[in-house]
Amino acid sequence: MPMLYHKSLTLQNDLHAIPTLTEFVTAACEIAGFDDDMIMKMNLAIEEAVVNVINYAYPEGITGNVEVTITVDQKDFIVVVSDSGIPFDPTQKEDADITLPAEKRPIGGLGIFLVRQLMDVVSYERRDDQNILTLRKGLPQQNQ
Amino acid sequence: MKLLNKTISNMKTTIEERDGNLVAVFEGRLDTLAASEIEKELQKLNDCEGRDIMLDCAAMDYISSSGLRLFLSILKNAKSKGSHVYITGCNDNLRQIFTMTGFIKLFEFK
Repeated sequence: MPMLYHKSLTLQNDLHAIPTLTEFVTAACEIAGFDDDMIMKMNLAIEEAVVNVINYAYPEGITGNVEVTITVDQKDFIVVVSDSGIPFDPTQKEDADITLPAEKRPIGGLGIFLVRQLMDVVSYERRDDQNILTLRKGLPQQNQ
Repeated sequence: MKLLNKTISNMKTTIEERDGNLVAVFEGRLDTLAASEIEKELQKLNDCEGRDIMLDCAAMDYISSSGLRLFLSILKNAKSKGSHVYITGCNDNLRQIFTMTGFIKLFEFK
């Protein structure tokens, strides 16, 4: 399957990296032929996955990296988010209960839920002391 | 989490009083960085006894889960004080996110 796009970005575990991530993701989405609605959704899913690493992968005060690689082939938009932090499989996290009333809704827990909702496939593996989270979204039909 | 002052978010928030109610106007992207920056500012909405709160999203084009978390905190506080929270002017893209997360049923939309 010929690749249309393949690029990596390495960020520090710092929320100030988010605008750089947004630029990187938006550029890849444009190559993939996504419309504004889908660009927003891909940015959201990828931001949530990366923020999860920024906030939880490394101990407080320790600088670490998170690498984001986006590949676009004829069929899919594939995002790999990897880090060398503590082992954590977000796919094992229970889904947020979105039917609860406001008083009972926990304040967090929506990040991974959104990743799952927005992507077609989310998979995790621990390899070479790295957390590797792969997100996959099918391209719009007319591009294929 | 570590915050350095090297990048600022693409977000502007204004809180004002309009017709006796509190209005928070969001302009730009409410991503995780922006949410961390405006959290303090939004505490101005905590003293809302006897007033309703409008979250004006007409100029907002993106919200992350940390932004949703801020909205939920505002709602929880307001409800405990008998105030209503309205989300106004949100576009279709944002509405999809509010629907996906069940927020569409928690808030009143105008």
